[in-house]
This record gives sequence, structure tokens and C-alpha cells, in this order.
Amino acid sequence: MREEAGARGREAGELPDALVAAPGAPAARRGPGPGGWRERPDVRSLYRLAAFLAAAYALPFAVGAWAGTVRLDAAWLAGLATVVLGGVMQGGVYAMFAVGLTLIFGVMRIINAAHGEMVMMGAYLTWVAFFAFGVDPLLSLALTLPLAFLFGMAVQRLLLDAAVGAPELTGLLITFGLGLVMIYTAELLFTTDFRTIPYAPGTVVLAPGVAVGQNRVISFLMAVGISTAVYLVLRFSRLGKAVRATALNAEVALVCGIDVRRIYLLTTGLAAALAVAGGALVSIQFGFNPETGVVYTLQAFAIIVLGGRGHYVGALIGAVMLGVLEALVSLLVPNGTAMVELAAYALLIAVLLIRPGGLMGVREG
Amino acid sequence: MAPAEHVRNLAALAAAAVVLALLPNHLSLYLRSFLLFLMMSVVLALSWNIISGFTGYTSFGHVAFYGIGAYACAILVADYGWPWPATLVVGAATAAAVGAAIGYPVLRLRGPYFAIAMLGTAEGTRVVATVWDGLTHGGLGISLPSAETSIPTYHAMLALMVVTVVVAYAVGHSRLGIRLTAIREDEVAAEALGIDTTRYKLAAFTLSAVFPAVAGGIQAYKVLYIDPPSVFFVQITIAMALMAMLGGKGTVIGPILGAVILYTAQELTWVNFPTAHLIAYGLFIVLVARFMPRGLVGFAIDRGWLRKGMVR
Repeated sequence: MREEAGARGREAGELPDALVAAPGAPAARRGPGPGGWRERPDVRSLYRLAAFLAAAYALPFAVGAWAGTVRLDAAWLAGLATVVLGGVMQGGVYAMFAVGLTLIFGVMRIINAAHGEMVMMGAYLTWVAFFAFGVDPLLSLALTLPLAFLFGMAVQRLLLDAAVGAPELTGLLITFGLGLVMIYTAELLFTTDFRTIPYAPGTVVLAPGVAVGQNRVISFLMAVGISTAVYLVLRFSRLGKAVRATALNAEVALVCGIDVRRIYLLTTGLAAALAVAGGALVSIQFGFNPETGVVYTLQAFAIIVLGGRGHYVGALIGAVMLGVLEALVSLLVPNGTAMVELAAYALLIAVLLIRPGGLMGVREG
Repeated sequence: MAPAEHVRNLAALAAAAVVLALLPNHLSLYLRSFLLFLMMSVVLALSWNIISGFTGYTSFGHVAFYGIGAYACAILVADYGWPWPATLVVGAATAAAVGAAIGYPVLRLRGPYFAIAMLGTAEGTRVVATVWDGLTHGGLGISLPSAETSIPTYHAMLALMVVTVVVAYAVGHSRLGIRLTAIREDEVAAEALGIDTTRYKLAAFTLSAVFPAVAGGIQAYKVLYIDPPSVFFVQITIAMALMAMLGGKGTVIGPILGAVILYTAQELTWVNFPTAHLIAYGLFIVLVARFMPRGLVGFAIDRGWLRKGMVR
């Protein structure tokens, strides 16, 4: 983290970002807004973001104290611990939504508005495998992930290749249209009824009064395993290096001999597979129908903005933070289950305004 | 453009308005409401175009203003017994105030971040409308006292459409329009030329919030029932963007053309393929965005059928 980037940095003889940028990259693209250097991620905005987040976490408690839902006895504290733990587990599922979105965005600067629908597709694939063929939801991943990978590659080749580098409206509309096609195809096939998969209904007791559903623990562990594996691939393999290089600067990557189009293909394939894995985890815990995907997309947006767009680890942290915040809201705020949705939107807009680079202070706009 | 051309364009608009004004008594109820919603599409596409077409700030949340207008009308008519036309003014003023309040911070964001922030804003407004049931009756929605409203709403929508077209045309041909286009092409350069970009963006955004609010109010009075999912429907925003894009955003004739074509096509597919029409609609969005990103007008300009100056 560079301190006091901006005017003082420049006085001290430091090159402004615009000058050290790759040739051809217009200076205007570097800053997130017309305010120029003032809006560049710096330490001050990190403090402001931290203060905002602290306030955001304190708010449900304040509302709860006012409404009388905060009691501070042992039973209430155990309930709080249960809910916070549940929020962390929920964060694991959110992480599966968010990392795919952040990958596509990081590498191609496209926001995949159909991402939630890919999650929904995953939930239905798992459901079909379970009820039609009797395959265990976790085993069925071995079958559904390759399918999702192929699906993602097809989407990339047929639709998204045209949107790389085009104005953002093109990519947004293409993926939004794709999402509509997926939603209504699913409605045609499965109707709008809510579906669930009964799976691992027991609970795990961690301390007296603190218990979580077995299915939630299993899906959290799956999420941790999968996201760690993807992280290791991105961090250490040659392929992962190529993906990161393309994300950094596609032109330079191309010059260095990386087949950028192939990287795009693999990125979208991987992102679709991750979304479908997220869908499998959703399907063993919650009810879903074809239209639930829209909410997942917005939650995933909020998470990647909070973590820092295109930042993998940021997405994981953001996911857990959103999960816990939502859990607190639903426990403490009266009428909380309806307000939960508001948490993601409020977080999204506040972070965009306070520190567009998110927790990780991603620079490039 | 020569003044004679302005006169000719306005005369064409006036002629179309007169024909449309004389029609409703001779039409079936179905055709009347078809035309009303067609005109509403033109209003929505044109007002979206004022901010997103001219300045390039793609809004994915304009439905928020539409919903605010619809709620202002429904609440004031149903709960306070206001005369209907007065509620449209309140709706427009509320939407303008909300637009300015939201636009001031959010317009500092660019590109996809602006689009997402607006999407979040629209969803947020929907949740507020659902949760704040003391004012909005929550998820139950609001029923308006029943009345024969198809003729007055038709004329109101026609008047609104004419005003919107004139305003959009005036913006397109004014210094304001040129400044907005300069912001789209290169915001930093525009600022360096002395254009107060924040001020003009905010003006365009607020202006573009007003017409959808009035349209929402008229629609509420036409349908006589609203609830949060129906008036804060994300697809309304997408339809605005798609219509403008299909015709050619950043022009005046483009969004009008796009609205007429798309709404008619939507109605025909809906009538003929009730189950599959939304799939077809999604597919259509994909195809337009994939193969015709500059719209019909851009397509025609590329082939030399139109001059650039003719379509502003």
C-alpha cells in the first residue's frame, strides 16, 4: 500500500500512474472517477471504509438494542454465536458465487450478468442428478463440473469474445439476455416451484447451544476446498500465471506469447464450473427456483466490489463479510429477513462511493 | 442543421400527435392500451437515452424512477384522494429530487461501476417499497379506486410522449447536448475544455429521471393496481436500454424507432408464443447486443443510407 498517493507523491518525484501506464492506455482510464488522484485508493479511503464497515456491523446491534432483541444472557449469546457461525458458512457459499464473477471481470473486464443463472443451473443439474439418477450431490460434481466447463467455453466463443474490449453495455446486455434465456428455459423444464434436496439433515454441536446443520458444514468445507484449489492453481501453475498476466495486461500477455483467446476460453469455463459448484452447495441447503439467480448475481457483485474487483482473495474475504453481516441483520433487526437483501445493496453502493477499489484497493478501473 | 429542417421535423411530430390524439375513440380497448404502452416505451427509451445515450453513463436502474412515479400516484390517489393529474407532478418532483440525490454521488463512478450501482439502487428502492409498509402497503400492493381510465391515460401518455420527444430533440440540438456528447467521448478532455462535467451529467440524469416517473404514474392509473415486483421490474430498465440500443443510442430517432419495433415484436411474440416468448426475448437481446451494438441507425450510417447529422 503506497501512502498518500497523489499530489504529495508527485512532489516527491514519484511518477504519476498515468505516466508509468502501458503506452496506449489513456490516462483517463486509470482513475475511477473524474476527481482524479483524490479518488485513487489510498490509506485514507481504507480507513474510511473500515470505519464504514464497523458502523455497518454495529448498526444491527444498535437497532436490536432499540427494538429489544438484544438480551446479553447466555442463551442469547449462544444464539448469536450460532448465527454468526452460520453467516461464515454462508460466506463459503457466497465465495463460490463470487470467485467466478471476479475471474471473468478481472481477465476480460466483463460483468457476467448471467452468473446467478449459472449458479441456478448448477442447482438444477444437481437436483436432476439426485432425483433422476440417484447420484449423491457431492459425487455428481464430477459429472456436472465438466459439463459446466464446456458450457462456459461455448458462451465465451459464441458470445463473450465479441464483448471483450467493447463498451460495457454490450457485455452486460449479452449476458443479461443469456440469463433471461436460462431462466425461462428452466421454467419451461422445471416450472417455478421451489425445489430442495434433502441431504445430511443432522446438526453438528460445537458448544452448548451452538449448533450448525451438517449440510452447511459439508458445503462450507467443500467451498473452502474448491476455492483453495483454484487459488493454488492461479498462484503457482504456469496456466495460472498466464491467466494473471492476461488480467494484468492482455496486450503485453499476447506479445509474450500467451494465447489470450485460449485464456479467455479457460477463464469463462472455470468461472461457469465454479458457479455450478456453488449451485450444488445451494441445492443441498436452500430451496431454489429459476428466478433465484438474480439475487445471487447481485450478492456476488456486492462481494467482488467489497473485496476489490478482479481480486481473488478479496472475493473470499468479501464473501464471508457479507455472510456475517446478513446473518446479523436477519437475527437482530425486526422484519430482518426482508431487510437482508438491502444489506448487499447498501454495502455495494457505499463501497463504490467510499473506496471503489474495495478492501484490496484494486487500482485499475 | 438548417432551421427549415427543425420546422419540418416538428411539423412531422405535430402531425403524428394529431393523428394519435384523434384515434382512441375509434379503437378497441386492446388497441388503445397497445398504443398507450407503445408510447410509454418511446418515453422510457428516450429518457434513458438522455443520460445513457448522450453521456455514455449506462444506467441499469432507471426503473427506480418509474416505480417512484407509480407509487406517488397510487399512494396519493388511493390513500389521500388526490385528483390524478396532480399526483403526476408530485411523482415527477420526487423522482427529480431522488435522481439528484442519487446522481450526485453515483455519477462519480464510471462505466460498469455506474451501471452496477444503478442496478443496486433500483433493487434497493424495490426492497424499501416492500419493507416500508406504513407508506406503501408493502408486498400487498395498492389498488386504486376503479374508474374508466383508458381514454384520459391515453391522452396523458400522448402528451408526455410529445413533451419527451421535444425535450430530447432540444437537448440533442443544444449546447447541452454537445457538452454531454463531449463527456461521452472523453470526459477528461471535456473537463479540460472548461465544461463543468459534474453539473451537466447531474442535469442530464435528473432530467432523464422525470419522464419515467410521469410514465409510471400514468401507468399506475391505467392499470389501477401496483405492487413492488411489477413497478420495480428489472426488465423495464433492460427494455429501455435495449430499445435505445436497437434503434441507435445517442440519437433521437433511434430510441423512438427501437421502442416501436421492439414493443410491437414483444407484443406479437407474447400473443403467439405465450410460453416461449421470454426465451425469444432473451435471445433477441443477445443477438442485438452481439451483432448490432450501434443499432439500426449506426447500421444505416455505415452503409451510407443516412448522414450522421440527420439523426441527432
